[in-house]
Amino acid sequence: MPGIEHESGALTIQRLEVEQEELKESIGRMREGLDEYRRELAANTEMLKEISAELERQKMMAGLLAVEGPGVQVTLDDSSIQSVPATADSGVYLIHEYDLRDVVNLLWMAGSEAIAVNDERIVATTSIYCVGSTVMANDTRLSPPYLIQAIGNPVSQEDILRNPAYLKEVKRKAELYGVQFKVNRMRMLSLPAYKGGFPIDHAQLGD
Amino acid sequence: MKSRSAQLLLTIVCFILGLLLVAQFRTQRMTGRPLLSASSADQLAMISSLVENNARLREEMEALEEQLSEYQQATGRAMLGALVQELNKIRIINGLVEVSGSGVEVTIDGPIGVLDIQDLINELRNAGAEALTVNGERLTLYSVIASTEDGVMIVNGMKPSRPYVLQAIGQPETLETALLRRGGLIATLERNYDGLAVSVIGRERMVLPVYKGAIEFVYASPIE
Repeated sequence: MPGIEHESGALTIQRLEVEQEELKESIGRMREGLDEYRRELAANTEMLKEISAELERQKMMAGLLAVEGPGVQVTLDDSSIQSVPATADSGVYLIHEYDLRDVVNLLWMAGSEAIAVNDERIVATTSIYCVGSTVMANDTRLSPPYLIQAIGNPVSQEDILRNPAYLKEVKRKAELYGVQFKVNRMRMLSLPAYKGGFPIDHAQLGD
Repeated sequence: MKSRSAQLLLTIVCFILGLLLVAQFRTQRMTGRPLLSASSADQLAMISSLVENNARLREEMEALEEQLSEYQQATGRAMLGALVQELNKIRIINGLVEVSGSGVEVTIDGPIGVLDIQDLINELRNAGAEALTVNGERLTLYSVIASTEDGVMIVNGMKPSRPYVLQAIGQPETLETALLRRGGLIATLERNYDGLAVSVIGRERMVLPVYKGAIEFVYASPIE
């Protein structure tokens, strides 16, 4: 029946065109949304690049990157004297954790830019201490001989290490009891990155 | 319907409906060919075209929905957040931002030397100190407690005077115990020095200033 076909045809077309309009509006809205996200991501990507670069700089300062450069190597070892007198204070024949600390501190004073002790990279939270008679750094056991490597100006570093005003205790033990203390300038040192954790649980940014 | 009156009635109804439809179309501001005057064949063609087109539109919409949800996962935004967090943590460690937090304040007066203060700093680090100052000077990995040849303390190019005040951010109880335990560092210092005055006070909140110097690398470079 022509009348009915016309009606349902027209209604169908109407329904389909309403649907079409709605689909187009949705598509339009979604494309605007995507554009918004893309603009944000582009801005974020710029920021991402900047922040990534800044992060690398900060990691370098924190000791989180392996580094190389000229510097000095300080070797500390217990005395090689075989027979220690029974009545002697055997402590003076040994390298103690405070000897290592004193050398490390002195090397920072000399303007060193990176320091490692037996491949343990020294960082801001590093403490060198002893558990019993075992020397620890970064909660890692160290055994003698102790190799302290420091990247910096080898001349400044050696100067301060040999200055008699500093490291009096170590130098006395070396002179009198055979404790080993050697300083060598190095053309190229490679220090590993710090591999431990940085537990920051109490400090917060700003006031 | 076969009867003439029924046909007539239907035609009138259609006509009215048609008018209503047209009116509706006009209010929806739809342009297009007048549908009612289109032949059945044209209408069928149009319906078929619309159905096909709408199906394509629906596909497009689904594709866009997928893209949108990917953006909503927002790897960009989440990654940015994570990077900023890590950056801030490392800045704190480097001493390059002002920080606040709980901790201890150690005040020392008396004949104490630079090496002893260095030992104190080491002890505080061992007990988990996250940021340190000496007489208001923020310590960094590079700005240590230095000593002149005559044994005068220098920190960040400044010569702090007694009493020395050390601030350390961390867990107050842990820091206090590390310093004050029997046979610990403070006990040893008090035994070794006459007239030493030491106080260790736990603090709920301290604000430690930023390190004001610059950290530069001339000799060290990253290994690629």
